Amino acid sequence: MKKLNKIHFTIASIMLVFSINSNAQILKAEIKAAGLTCSMCSNAINKQLKTMPEVASVATDLNANTFIVTLIAGNNLSPKIFKEKVEKAGFSIGSLMVTTKRETIAKNNYILVNDKKTEANEVKFQVVDQGYVTAKEYKKLSKLYKNMATYLANNDDDFHIKITN
Amino acid sequence: MRAFFLCLAVVGFQNVFSQELFVVTDPASNIPANSLAVNVMQLLFKEQVETGYNYHLMPEVSYGLNRNLMFRASAFVSNRNSSLVTEGGSFFSKYRFYSDDDVNSHFRLAAYGRYSFNNSDIHQEQIEILGHNSGFEAGLIATKLVKRVAVNASVSFEKALNNGSNYIFPENYGNNATNFSLSVGKLMYPKKYTSFKQTNINIMIEFVGQTINQNGKSFIDAVPALQFIFNSQARLDFAYRQQLINSMLRTAPNGFYFNLYYTFFNISKNK
Repeated sequence: MKKLNKIHFTIASIMLVFSINSNAQILKAEIKAAGLTCSMCSNAINKQLKTMPEVASVATDLNANTFIVTLIAGNNLSPKIFKEKVEKAGFSIGSLMVTTKRETIAKNNYILVNDKKTEANEVKFQVVDQGYVTAKEYKKLSKLYKNMATYLANNDDDFHIKITN
Repeated sequence: MRAFFLCLAVVGFQNVFSQELFVVTDPASNIPANSLAVNVMQLLFKEQVETGYNYHLMPEVSYGLNRNLMFRASAFVSNRNSSLVTEGGSFFSKYRFYSDDDVNSHFRLAAYGRYSFNNSDIHQEQIEILGHNSGFEAGLIATKLVKRVAVNASVSFEKALNNGSNYIFPENYGNNATNFSLSVGKLMYPKKYTSFKQTNINIMIEFVGQTINQNGKSFIDAVPALQFIFNSQARLDFAYRQQLINSMLRTAPNGFYFNLYYTFFNISKNK
């Protein structure tokens, strides 16, 4: 029985990994970084983002601390990588807007927090989880979504998203 | 004299907020993870008793292991005794344990420790493990950044040991001290960023003090600084240190700092 569980677990894990990877393509990420005002700080983030082989280009607005990251087609990235990179540079994410193909968000690791339906092929959304918004914003959002168990669970690998287009 | 303060100077390299990259004190922020920073610090301090200046050269290498933890190794070279001699070295580590980031602002807290060894003679009551005394230091730092201005405060405990076997720490001096600092930095230029290539200019003022715990002897110095950031990657600091008040023996309290600092981002590709 134990063995069977293990096999089930293994199969489930493989399927989960496969399902996340197969359709998780991110086309573009717009990162507004928090905790900095200097260009040397922005450059630390810029250089971190450029270490990713999936990154085609990074456009920076130094006055707004915003980084528009264009990604190569067919990547398997999740929003988590952007949080990791910004934190490695020593800062935090203030807001993260992600553009993906519509089929990507049908995957079960994306949870919609608004009812907005879009027919567009490319969907733009904001990730509203802890660590993807400022601490102040998160406080507000955790009150707003207090009935959403998955939001409060703060699971690293699911993303609560608000579609904006 | 030694320059004494070279020590202070240490500074750093550190991180990345240029307004808080003070000449004498470290901010609570760290250098980016997986990045290496090299700093060549030079100090020229005027001898008070003898004539002339002491020159100190303090090369430093810092490494950011992750976003919260950094390490630094320094060497102390000086001509205090005529020719240029390597007198000692230092290991430093800083851990950022609290960070509250918001848009264009942050508040951070860090703890640090430093161990230094030095084989030069002991020539003053001031305890300075950056280039003068063997010993150790442990401290706390708080940094607040709001838009163009950074404010930094620190407090530390510093204890001097014998400088090798040749120079025993004098019994009539107090061998441990409380250090404190208050620093303010402001980004003056540019008013608006146009590119990473643009040169940034910061001005800073630091107040640095020490009280010897056994006898209460103290000093407070002011360190105004002018800082240039080139290409968002290199840094050049000019600073002058001036004693404001003092009740202990110091051989060279006043002098100049000149720092050259360069950050190598993401030194290991697979991290």
